[in-house]
Amino acid sequence: MSALLQQLARRQLLWHGNSQQAAYQAVSSGYPQLDQQLAGGFPSTGLIDIQTNTGIGELRLLLPYLQQQQQHSGRLLVFISPPAQPCADMLVTAGIVLSQLVIITPKTAKEALWAAEQCLQSGCCASVLMWQVPLKLALARRLQLAAEQGGASLVLLRRPAASLSLPVNLSLELTPHQHGLQLSVHKRKGGWPAAAFLLDMQQHWPALYPAADSAALPQRKAG
Amino acid sequence: MALYLYLHFPALQCDSITDPGQQALPLAVVDAQHSIIQLNAQAAAQGVQLQMGLATAAALCHNLQLIPYQPQQQQAVLRSIAQQLYQVSADIALDGPDGLYLRLCNMLQLYQGLAGYRAALMAALALLPYQYYYASAATPLAAKCLALQRLNLLTQDSIDTETALKRSPLSFTELEPDIQQQLQRLGIASLGRLLALSTTELARRFDNRLVSYLGRLRGEFFHALEYIRPEPGFSRYLELLYDISDMAVLSAPLSRLLQQLQQQLQRNNALCHQLTLRLYCRDSETQNYSVGSAQGEYRAANWLKLCQLQLENHRLTAPVYGLQLEATHFMPQQAQSDDLFAPQQGNVSALQLVSLLQARLGSNAVSGLSLQNQHLPEQASGRPLPLLQTKPLAGALLQRPAFILPQPRPLQEAVEISSGPERLCPDGWQLAAQRDYFIGRNGKGQWLWLYRTAQQQWFVHGLFS
Repeated sequence: MSALLQQLARRQLLWHGNSQQAAYQAVSSGYPQLDQQLAGGFPSTGLIDIQTNTGIGELRLLLPYLQQQQQHSGRLLVFISPPAQPCADMLVTAGIVLSQLVIITPKTAKEALWAAEQCLQSGCCASVLMWQVPLKLALARRLQLAAEQGGASLVLLRRPAASLSLPVNLSLELTPHQHGLQLSVHKRKGGWPAAAFLLDMQQHWPALYPAADSAALPQRKAG
Repeated sequence: MALYLYLHFPALQCDSITDPGQQALPLAVVDAQHSIIQLNAQAAAQGVQLQMGLATAAALCHNLQLIPYQPQQQQAVLRSIAQQLYQVSADIALDGPDGLYLRLCNMLQLYQGLAGYRAALMAALALLPYQYYYASAATPLAAKCLALQRLNLLTQDSIDTETALKRSPLSFTELEPDIQQQLQRLGIASLGRLLALSTTELARRFDNRLVSYLGRLRGEFFHALEYIRPEPGFSRYLELLYDISDMAVLSAPLSRLLQQLQQQLQRNNALCHQLTLRLYCRDSETQNYSVGSAQGEYRAANWLKLCQLQLENHRLTAPVYGLQLEATHFMPQQAQSDDLFAPQQGNVSALQLVSLLQARLGSNAVSGLSLQNQHLPEQASGRPLPLLQTKPLAGALLQRPAFILPQPRPLQEAVEISSGPERLCPDGWQLAAQRDYFIGRNGKGQWLWLYRTAQQQWFVHGLFS
């Protein structure tokens, strides 16, 4: 490279097409395939928007990430308005420390948002999960600022909706699949949205996704 | 040589009610006989005097605010003053309704003389809004007699106090009116002339009340004083000058009480975890609020924030005329050690955050999660207080769903079973109630945790999220 180019590059007047500046610090998601698609993993701070139906494996997708977030900083994990009573066995199996978990069940959406903001701002929470709370643009920005301030991440779990895109670091849509989850990245800060891809969960959760060839159990219908 | 100080507070109830931020109104306290027994400086400037009748006082000063005399409240104020002065002086005895005995002789060495003691005491009294007069003497009763004359005499010189005492009229002594009257008839008007008489002569003509008083005044008889001991906890009542019916306005008087709490906690180097706030409502029942801080706090600003969050959720049904703040248990303050290298992102600790959430959302809305040593899914997850360190008693069971439904619901759709069965039987081998659990997937791709009862009925019990 010529001396002139080097000088320009040092002054940051030159932009390399192949240099990818990460917009956020990524934490491995625990799934190598997903890490590759997201260029490192889930963001460690800021908002993560996940559009999904309940019960198709969205929490299983997040568990390795949440476990790392909690363990890495020794800070709290907060569940706000979970759809039902979380099961301790499952969380312990995933390596989550229960004494560092706080469950908040507010009565209204307004209270839920207030609680989320307090938790994010406090700096003592690593991640906050919030289920099914409607969010407007201004509120999302406010929560994003609170999350940056407290160095925390907020995972929004909501139903797929054709709403305006929110100012989030990462937006994913999940659809169920026989062998795992079909993921499509709607938005990723500092990167391009990728095509939809299949995340195979068979080896992580063999009980849920029995291999197709070993039909150990006769298929049964009940109803 | 013994040395006692007497502090006399002439307008205790009157001063306790005055709000320093407000423009002062003329205030007077009236007893049951409608005579004025306490007044503040504004009322005195308008010509109102002690022992004046109500009609005369009202004629002199048209905007005079009258307050009925409340002995219990005055006693509580006196006790709180004694508690505050306890930091300066060790031996304090209450002398109701408006005085305090302080034993000085054993404190002088600490303060290196009377001047140092006087400076410390005046500094402590300057923080309080009460008028006071003082005098010192070799016996408690002599000090009291001089203080009631408002001499403000603080000296170790016995000749000074002796001459002042000899000059004092009998009306400032503790003698009963009938004895005073008898002495008056004998032509004895001052204490000096009474002290000049021989005790045996007096004992012949008067009963033992006079002899006992003079003996204690001279220091010949032992005068037992009941010295106070520091009370555990904090309890203050604040009477409002006007009724408040808005929660937001209430924070101003509340912060005054919390400041007093902070002072006491700082002096004791303590924290408290729980406050009880009592709002006395007019024509309605008293409302109690309990405000908690999981970490323990002493700062008034933090307590005020927690109180406001709690009060925000409630509506006042009747105007409030008084506030009471109580803290029963103090905990020793413990310094928190933070990580030197890890960046500190917020100035809120986890326990403070939990208290904040509980204050606004209610304590039931915030909880933790614990693993119980139970195989039945309903009992396996406990909901203890948040941030409680629990030791896991048992290993976690495998293949459990993320969420357990509070009430199992009947299965009403076609599912594809992928794993199972796992047979769970309730305690005591109730075979009729045993369940076979399966993992199934419905048409929408949701993973369900199902069970089949012994009666071949199917229920959904959980969601694999």
